[in-house]
Amino acid sequence: MRHLFPNSFILLAGLAIASPAPGAVEFNRDIRPILSENCFACHGPDEAKRMTALRLDVEDGTKVALAGGKRAIVPGEPESSELYLRVSAVDEGRRMPPAAFGHDRLTDRQIGLLREWIQEGALWQGHWSFLKPDRPAIPPDRHAGWPVNPVDSFILRRLQADGLEPSPPASKETLVRRVALDITGLPPDLADVDAFLADSSPDAYETLVDRLLASSRYGERMAVRWLDAARYADTNGYQTDAERYMWRWRDWVIDAFAANKPFDEFTVEQIAGDMLPGARLQQVIATGFNRNHRGNGEGGIVDAEYAVEYVVDRVDTTSTVWLGLTLACARCHDHKYDPFTQKEYYELFAYFNNVPEKGKAFKYGNSPPFVKAPTREQSESLAEMDAELRRLRAQRNELEKGLAAARQAWETSTSQGREALDWADGRDLVLAFPKPDERWRDLPRRFDGGDFEEFGEAANFGFYDRFSVAGWIRADSADGAIISKTRNVPGEEDTQGNPGWGFYIKDGRLQVNMVNRWLDDCLRLESQEEISLGEWHHVAFTYDGTRLASGLRIYLDGRPVPLRIIRDEMNQEFRSKEPLRIGRGLGLDYRGELRRLLVYGRALTEDEVAVLAVHGSLPELASVAPRDRSGPEALKLSLAFRDSFGPAELTALTVRIRDLERRRQEAHDAVPTVMVMAEMAPRKKTYLLDRGAYDAPAEEVLPGLPAALSKADPQDRLGFARWLVSSENPLTARVTVNRIWQMLWGRGIVRTVEDFGSQGEWPTHPELLDWLAVDFMESGWDVKRLVKTIVMSAAYRQSSRFAAESRATDPENVLYSRGPRLRLPAESVRDLSLAISGLLVDRVGGPSVRPYQPPGLWTELAGGADYEVGAGAELYRRSLYTFWKRAVPPPSLMIFDSAGREVCTVRSVRTNTPLQALNRMNDAAYLETSRALVQRVMREEGPGHDRRLARLFRLATSRHPRPEEAQVLSSGFHYHLDRYRTDTGAAVELLGAEEADLLDPSRRPELAAYTMMASLVLNLDETITRE
Amino acid sequence: MFTRRYLFGKGAYGLGIAALARLLGEEITAEGQQGRLPHFSPKVKRVIYLFQSGAPSQIDTLDYKPGLAALTGQDLPDSVRQGQRLTAMTATQSSFPIAPSIFEFRQHGQTGAWISELMPHTAGIADKLCIVRSMHTEAINHDPAVTFFQTGAQLAGRPSIGAWVSYGLGSLNRDLPGFVVMVSSGSGRNGQPLYDRLWGSGFLPTRYQGVKFRSNGDPVLYLSDPGGIDRAGRRRYLDDLGRLNQLKYDDFGDPEILTRISQYEMAFRMQSSVPELIDLSGEPESTFDLYGPESRKPGTFAANCLLARRLLERDVRFVQLFHRGWDQHTDLPEQIRKQCADTDQPSAALVQDLEQRGLLDDTLVVWGGEFGRTVYSQGKLTADNYGRDHHPRCFSVWLAGGGIRPGVVGQTDEFSYNIVEDPVHVHDLHATILHLMGIDHEKLTFKYQGRNFRLTDVHGRLVKKALA
Repeated sequence: MRHLFPNSFILLAGLAIASPAPGAVEFNRDIRPILSENCFACHGPDEAKRMTALRLDVEDGTKVALAGGKRAIVPGEPESSELYLRVSAVDEGRRMPPAAFGHDRLTDRQIGLLREWIQEGALWQGHWSFLKPDRPAIPPDRHAGWPVNPVDSFILRRLQADGLEPSPPASKETLVRRVALDITGLPPDLADVDAFLADSSPDAYETLVDRLLASSRYGERMAVRWLDAARYADTNGYQTDAERYMWRWRDWVIDAFAANKPFDEFTVEQIAGDMLPGARLQQVIATGFNRNHRGNGEGGIVDAEYAVEYVVDRVDTTSTVWLGLTLACARCHDHKYDPFTQKEYYELFAYFNNVPEKGKAFKYGNSPPFVKAPTREQSESLAEMDAELRRLRAQRNELEKGLAAARQAWETSTSQGREALDWADGRDLVLAFPKPDERWRDLPRRFDGGDFEEFGEAANFGFYDRFSVAGWIRADSADGAIISKTRNVPGEEDTQGNPGWGFYIKDGRLQVNMVNRWLDDCLRLESQEEISLGEWHHVAFTYDGTRLASGLRIYLDGRPVPLRIIRDEMNQEFRSKEPLRIGRGLGLDYRGELRRLLVYGRALTEDEVAVLAVHGSLPELASVAPRDRSGPEALKLSLAFRDSFGPAELTALTVRIRDLERRRQEAHDAVPTVMVMAEMAPRKKTYLLDRGAYDAPAEEVLPGLPAALSKADPQDRLGFARWLVSSENPLTARVTVNRIWQMLWGRGIVRTVEDFGSQGEWPTHPELLDWLAVDFMESGWDVKRLVKTIVMSAAYRQSSRFAAESRATDPENVLYSRGPRLRLPAESVRDLSLAISGLLVDRVGGPSVRPYQPPGLWTELAGGADYEVGAGAELYRRSLYTFWKRAVPPPSLMIFDSAGREVCTVRSVRTNTPLQALNRMNDAAYLETSRALVQRVMREEGPGHDRRLARLFRLATSRHPRPEEAQVLSSGFHYHLDRYRTDTGAAVELLGAEEADLLDPSRRPELAAYTMMASLVLNLDETITRE
Repeated sequence: MFTRRYLFGKGAYGLGIAALARLLGEEITAEGQQGRLPHFSPKVKRVIYLFQSGAPSQIDTLDYKPGLAALTGQDLPDSVRQGQRLTAMTATQSSFPIAPSIFEFRQHGQTGAWISELMPHTAGIADKLCIVRSMHTEAINHDPAVTFFQTGAQLAGRPSIGAWVSYGLGSLNRDLPGFVVMVSSGSGRNGQPLYDRLWGSGFLPTRYQGVKFRSNGDPVLYLSDPGGIDRAGRRRYLDDLGRLNQLKYDDFGDPEILTRISQYEMAFRMQSSVPELIDLSGEPESTFDLYGPESRKPGTFAANCLLARRLLERDVRFVQLFHRGWDQHTDLPEQIRKQCADTDQPSAALVQDLEQRGLLDDTLVVWGGEFGRTVYSQGKLTADNYGRDHHPRCFSVWLAGGGIRPGVVGQTDEFSYNIVEDPVHVHDLHATILHLMGIDHEKLTFKYQGRNFRLTDVHGRLVKKALA
């Protein structure tokens, strides 16, 4: 009985299109929406709000005995059913829902439906979308040219039931433009239009569709809606809203659609690609989906609060996108309409709550966990450099073998110590103190407290810089600054100011501080052990520029020591205007001796630190028998020989290798990262949060699925992902085909694409939805096939002209009595203009770009740096590559109803406003487009105003103007031509001085007039509509 | 040849707005949906909200605490803090020294309201103000707190209050948007950022979002015709565009085309109405005297206040100014002087100006920030310097205009730390603003994700003591 979908009438929430025929009441379609809207709040799933034992959301709940032995529903006997009696009661005190709670009486129609339903036996049904879809039988109905495929059969049956006929097919010109815009987001080239018009073969249309689906533009087109759903953006959101880097994930999505990755794989990889056995980098990148949520790096936030919000965002987004469920409602209490308890919400939450992340996100850039995600070119280039490095190192090994005798001779002469001699690595050396001579002879410097050395701007490192400090100390006091770049006042009481970095002995321990604010914005670590005073030690720290405690190491006597993290909260730059000082900082004066204190602009390796910590000079080491030298001692000799004392061919090769190593490092640094999902072991505990509040944990919960959807509970996120696309899940396929249907028709079969629960709207064509869903699953989740099935249907190919009767009977085209006529989505409005004018740079993927935007928009809201318009190709890429700043999204896209990308958005909205008109008419970017369009027409079309105007019109609309349209164009053109002839200055202004300079002055008025007409054509309703 | 009258006689207006709304599906307004707005007779037609972004210190402006002087530098007692959460900026601070305001307070007007010397002009209109000293909110950081004030939720995604009002009541003016926003930066330290979402439409159709008027470049984005196009040329262009669109409509019958035609016409009207609106050359000297010399400088808070009056005169329903720079964690005395110098005179001038023009009776003026500031000093307390951290538990706002009862609502404890009388939550303020506009905050709803959302979520009680 799952497909009891009579066709005699339709009821949309609040919009009755026809009256019910007797004997046709169906619970899911007719009754549940009434109960859900009016009764569930108190007689529904939310246990806390239930006033009595009576529940109207589950069948058993309706059967409880009420006071006085009455029952809510007595099948066949409405007059004995309390439900009917109470909703129809005249007495306000008795009537349900209670007037006292602000409810209105149900409408007569609703009361009538309830009565009829009870009269007919009160047949109960589970909520339709929670029942697994079966493939419905295809109705046999026929009509001229219909059906082309099963889509038509279901639509035709409904149309005929309502006494409507399908519309005639759209013209070929309309159809080629429609399908190109739908599949690729761009209009067809005129050559494509002509080819399609000329192709009279029966499969001309299918050939066209196949060609469009094979285009990389299809991947881009499909990706845009997915990016909206995934709340993809180029900034972190919240306060500072600084840049993040998720474009490698965006490109993964484009590639996945273009390659027609089956939707089940597409799903599993995005939800849990990191957990797949032997996960490949691409599968890990895919999990960026659930790291696209905003990240809060505002100073002072409570870490735990936002750690919860991120997980909430994942649950809400995932459940909206795959399940079409509004689970967010169950965060604070049991769901009021659907059978989900608050506990079940947190069981789902648990799948996403095991990411090694912090609530306080990085203010700038990507927050952990993230991975390096090289592009193909970068991977290839890195691999080449690695191969070259291997080759050069092998060459050096060979060379060194051949130089054994020379090496021996050098060691011998060095050991005889004719001259005092030492060596230290001089690469990236920023400062050496006390300053050695060229043979690295240096002496200790004594500090008695109060004296120090200043070095101005030296070592003004930032938090992305790698750097290291290493040196010998013999400290007399347990507190002292070895080196610092910060004010000489105690740090900790100073909650705001005093940024900088420094290396200290504090309470006898080695301490490194990199500080923006002492209490909450700094990286501070210290050695667990104290060092001995009055003895020489070699001390060092290295920092790798990651802003994390894990990137900082402290060494004592050449070995890394165990550390205590004082604070791991570095979020903003710690650069200080204070000079670099040795022997002073934070009010701590150093007492004791210092020798060979070296500051490097790179993170030294463990070996390199060990070499610096070698006590002996070269002559001393050379005098030791090779087998008696420690590892670092031997290494020091080898490095010195390679670097400075070997023959020229060795030192030259060493330079080559180092150059390549540096370039390799730079290339590696340039590789973008992308935030991804990861798991922790052991699993982080998840608790039900009372009222949804982060600081009100109640009982512990384990990962699990809502009982209404599944009997089994997958153990982890990967299991959850697999369940999403298993045949056990009734929702994913329906929700997905519905969203793609919305993309092509402007509305879903279930109009509430985000809500398939009991508050969602009833599907207009439930059988069609189920047929598409089952077909989609059985095809192996083939997305291209799904799109093709829809666009091949006769229904899709109908004319979108509003015929008189369909306008009256089907004003919103709910029954698909005509083709959909839709204003293009925001990105297509712009992309189409670029394409028509020939400016479009059709290149797939890459970092986000910065096309034109009026100046000042960023600064006026946030201060600081303004948006910087890019150059060259950046100006003309497709809009899905436009840099998306969440706080100030691109205005020309937002004006055309683009999703804001702060939260998951799946419902498409189209408004029609004066700001859209202003944008299209006056945006300098569109004026440039108009000029380019004129140039294109002048290039491609022979002389004659009418011919040129016709081509302009055709480029924009893919059709020839009709005579009355051509007349308007011609007359308008001549009006502007006359005006610009009288006012040539205005023509120059419109064309832009630079461009006008290139033109013969006599041609300027003409081109200006064409520019006006080009702009006009770009502003036509038809141009930005696919009809 | 068509005339414009022909076009529009037959076009958008001919079809009737109700019929259009029905046909446009997504664009059904609350009016169309509910058919009973306003819910009751409104007290005000317009709202001007002077949002002080960054959170002004109540202790130094409107919430006088004479007893603090004797406690200077002492640690705030735990009994007052009650374990209340602090921001991570001061949570690990080793002490919480009480920092009394260094500014003088005096009583003003018949209501005898205590107002700080920082706000002499505001003090001058004390009898028109209802000062709410017992505001409180839930968020302790700027982004969520401002978002909460604007949308009734801390996280992004909900419509702003101005969008709700536009959705509920529509526009009173066919040449200007119904909801206009202007931003300015204070002379103090560079302030906290703002976001487009603060006047966004959330899940409501985007046409209800606030339109930002700017002081640099076009006052409304893309308003000006490109160079080389004069008014006659633009008119001709629009006539031709209208003809072609009308031909399309005649052929296809899609009512959306008629809407498009009418929106281009509205755009054309805005091209005149907005420049006329922002042209202050016709304002007499006395106006600039009233608002202060800064009102001549575009983009200042004072200039925005003056523009706000001009918008309100033209019946723009909801105007909101955002003034940044109140986030005084350090150097508060110096910084707050500058902020008050920016805002005190123009805010008071706006109230007086509206009154002189007979507009104050049906206009609501709201002044305030997203939370308050702590009584204890953030960082070092000295004789003439201190800072204050965020404090959500109590702060002050003021209201003036139609339906408002002058006086003081609410009371805080002697530390201005906890509320002891008549707490007013953000939802309560929202409910009250809507109430004054004739809207029952529980009935202005929009169904989204299966739920009837409202500005006040499931909360909100009228602040009856603030009402006349």
